[in-house]
Amino acid sequence: MRTLLSSLAAVIAMTAPASAAPTIGQPAPAFTATDAQGRVHRLADFRGRTVVLEWHNPECPFVKKFYDGGAMQKLQADARAKGIVWLTINSGAPGKQGHMTAEQALAYVKAQGLASTAYIPDPTGAIGRLYDARTTPHMFVIDPQGTLVYAGAIDDTPTANPADVARARNLVTAALADVAAGRPVATPTSRPYGCSVKY
Amino acid sequence: MRRWLLVLGVILGWALAGPAHAQGVAERPHTRVELLAETRTPAPGRTFTVGISFQPRPGWHTYWVNPGDAGMEPRAEWRLPAGATVTPLRFPVPKPYLVQGIMNHVYEGEAVLLADVTLPPGATGAVPLAVRLDWLVCDENMCVPESAELSLPLVVGDGAPDYLAAPRLAAARAALPQPLATPGRFQLADGRVRLWAPVAPQGVRRAHFFPLAHDVIDMAAPQALGQGADGLVLETAVASNPGSFKREVRGVLRLERDDGRVVGLELALRPGEVPPARPLGSAAAGQATFWTAFGLAVLGGLLLNLMPCVFPILSLKAMSLARAGASEAHARVEGLAYTLGVVASCLALGAVAIALARAGQGAGWAFQLQDPRVILFLMLLVWAIGLNFAGLFDVNLGAVRLGGGLARQGGAHGAFFTGALAAFVATPCTGPFMAGALGAALVLPWAAGLAVFAGLGLGLALPFLAIGFVPALRRHLPRPGPWMESFRRILAIPMWLTAVGLAWVLGRQAGVDAVAWGLLAALVLALGLWWWGRAQRGGRPSPVPALVAAAAFLAPLALPWPAALGGAGSAAAARVAGTVPEPFSPTALEARVRARTPTFLYFTADWCVTCKVNEKGALADAAVARAFRQAGIGVMVGDWTRPDPAIARFLAERGRAGIPLYLFYGADGRVEELPQILTVERLLALASRGSAAPA
Repeated sequence: MRTLLSSLAAVIAMTAPASAAPTIGQPAPAFTATDAQGRVHRLADFRGRTVVLEWHNPECPFVKKFYDGGAMQKLQADARAKGIVWLTINSGAPGKQGHMTAEQALAYVKAQGLASTAYIPDPTGAIGRLYDARTTPHMFVIDPQGTLVYAGAIDDTPTANPADVARARNLVTAALADVAAGRPVATPTSRPYGCSVKY
Repeated sequence: MRRWLLVLGVILGWALAGPAHAQGVAERPHTRVELLAETRTPAPGRTFTVGISFQPRPGWHTYWVNPGDAGMEPRAEWRLPAGATVTPLRFPVPKPYLVQGIMNHVYEGEAVLLADVTLPPGATGAVPLAVRLDWLVCDENMCVPESAELSLPLVVGDGAPDYLAAPRLAAARAALPQPLATPGRFQLADGRVRLWAPVAPQGVRRAHFFPLAHDVIDMAAPQALGQGADGLVLETAVASNPGSFKREVRGVLRLERDDGRVVGLELALRPGEVPPARPLGSAAAGQATFWTAFGLAVLGGLLLNLMPCVFPILSLKAMSLARAGASEAHARVEGLAYTLGVVASCLALGAVAIALARAGQGAGWAFQLQDPRVILFLMLLVWAIGLNFAGLFDVNLGAVRLGGGLARQGGAHGAFFTGALAAFVATPCTGPFMAGALGAALVLPWAAGLAVFAGLGLGLALPFLAIGFVPALRRHLPRPGPWMESFRRILAIPMWLTAVGLAWVLGRQAGVDAVAWGLLAALVLALGLWWWGRAQRGGRPSPVPALVAAAAFLAPLALPWPAALGGAGSAAAARVAGTVPEPFSPTALEARVRARTPTFLYFTADWCVTCKVNEKGALADAAVARAFRQAGIGVMVGDWTRPDPAIARFLAERGRAGIPLYLFYGADGRVEELPQILTVERLLALASRGSAAPA
């Protein structure tokens, strides 16, 4: 009995940091992540810079909608040019659609010309659960003070049709413009659309 | 001739296959879509119904208008005849589909979306109807966007119904949610929201509210079904960044009835007062539940006869009847009186339990055992019965004689009292069958609930009733003789063992001081009874020793009220300092469920024998500990040794009145209730399910 209890307690200690979904206007949940190149990133290290989190699954048609035509790569490059940190996160579990090992991810990043700051494999789904990421893509914007200011869809046209990208209003671009201008984000939430995150 | 046949064939082929018909259907890799019109010859100026059928391949699903946390609603772009108008699509009642904690609002089989088209009054000739569809079809692992262009070559005419399409559209209309004229209400209360709908909850097995807006409720959170004033109440979590709660919440309420029928209601909820719901639980199951609960209660009562606290009373009673060699009539009267006593005792306890449960006191069956005073009283009672069996004294209160004394007294009063006593003493031994039955009894209507408690009594009384009514049984009982005195003395031992067990419970509940106090009372009681016994044998009965013994029974009153006991370190979890399962709290559980941490939740109490058996058995197994650790399964325990409203409310929400209760919250968001008798294999199976292996 004692051994059971002690082992159970160990399990609980490991799994303790469980939390509800993050709230707009509150500090964004802190995390430490290792990217596909093995570099360690802490959210706290980016204090003073705007951070974008993008949930990714290379095989999801809604993600392909933005990558096949280069729209997402352009968003990433534009943001980087303005000093914004862009983290692309893949919370697909091993064996599920879209999961990639670090090597596969690096090859993908190269082939697709991703311009994000880092590509972060999250096979346990820890960061995904922390942010309650539900879809790919699911986008989050964190302002330089570390406050979550946007959570939701990438744009206002929930389709898988690449032709809609140009027509849609990009909500992440809008949120980043608001942050840069020191305004409150006009549309702080929207319904994320896409494939479910394959935890 | 040959040429004629060819022409005929072409004409036939055209008529049967119909090129127009072919354009109305499209087969895509994962979906078959079809455009249906109520009539092929719509009348000018009139409205007719059209439908779009989506039929995903088995294992795949399409989406409702609010697809849930992921997914996409189907989109339709109509190309209408000039001057015609079309209404927005109407969707049939969807189904909740939770994958890895992500809610999807889906259709697993064919779903027909409906719209009404109105032709302009001056329409003539061909009025082709076309639509471009974009939809998402998913299985549990991947999603595929598909699209199709469908058209129907309609011609203005008399509006006669299409004999193929019309019945399908009528069926589709029946599958739509029914609009509810009376609006419902919602009330927010610290992160939770209660929704009230003016719908009778009777016969509802499951209910789910699908909001039209995505930012109202947490769509993946469980929705607890309960009974409110004149309606049904669902309680669930609010969306993490709620937006559209201010004015009105619209959506569809899906009700699954006990007979398997699914009913959908379209309704609007307005801000208003929604008091917390009473549990609906298995009460919803109505008749069937009542008879199941009644049957289980009878069975449970029957089993109670074998419990160490009841068996001695029953066996001595039975033998006294055999020894009496009494007349048929006499035996029957005894049997009936005993039954009456048992049933009356059960009804009294049941009535109190139901009343407390209705008053929201969070009582369950065996609620009285949460009070240390009751425990001490029971301990003294069992101790005194043991002393009586051991021959220290005889009981002669009116016609009451415990055990062997009855034959001579032969009183129906005595039998009644013995029955009542047996039922009361039996409560700590509530058997494994009874938790469900008695849980149902607490949530059934008053009369039905009491009937279940009466069933428990009936089961308990059944063996003795049979002995009273079947002479053959009496003849098979061992021949009375002097051995019966020795047997009776031996039967004192299980009674005393019960007393020892109760003393332990008392210690866990109220500490060592209470035990010492209780043992002192037991000593005074024994002295008084011994004195009384001497007086009886000496033929000089005196009231003084009886009063001394009775005074011992006042000892429980000196114990503190349970509310004053604070954190008297009784929680099962505190047993091993530092290495404890997380104590149960609804918020902690909610956090774990949200985080999809696989969690094994169990409820226990020191007075619950089955709980303790499981904890020393399967739950203590080293292989289980190892497997849980590897699978990352957390453990949470709710200790109900003392009253706890949060636990009582949780049990009530699950339609349970008693413990043990074992629940497993899987990483996939599913909740599984485990049997009350746990086995190592069962727990190991959880570990293999709870692991992160691909599902």
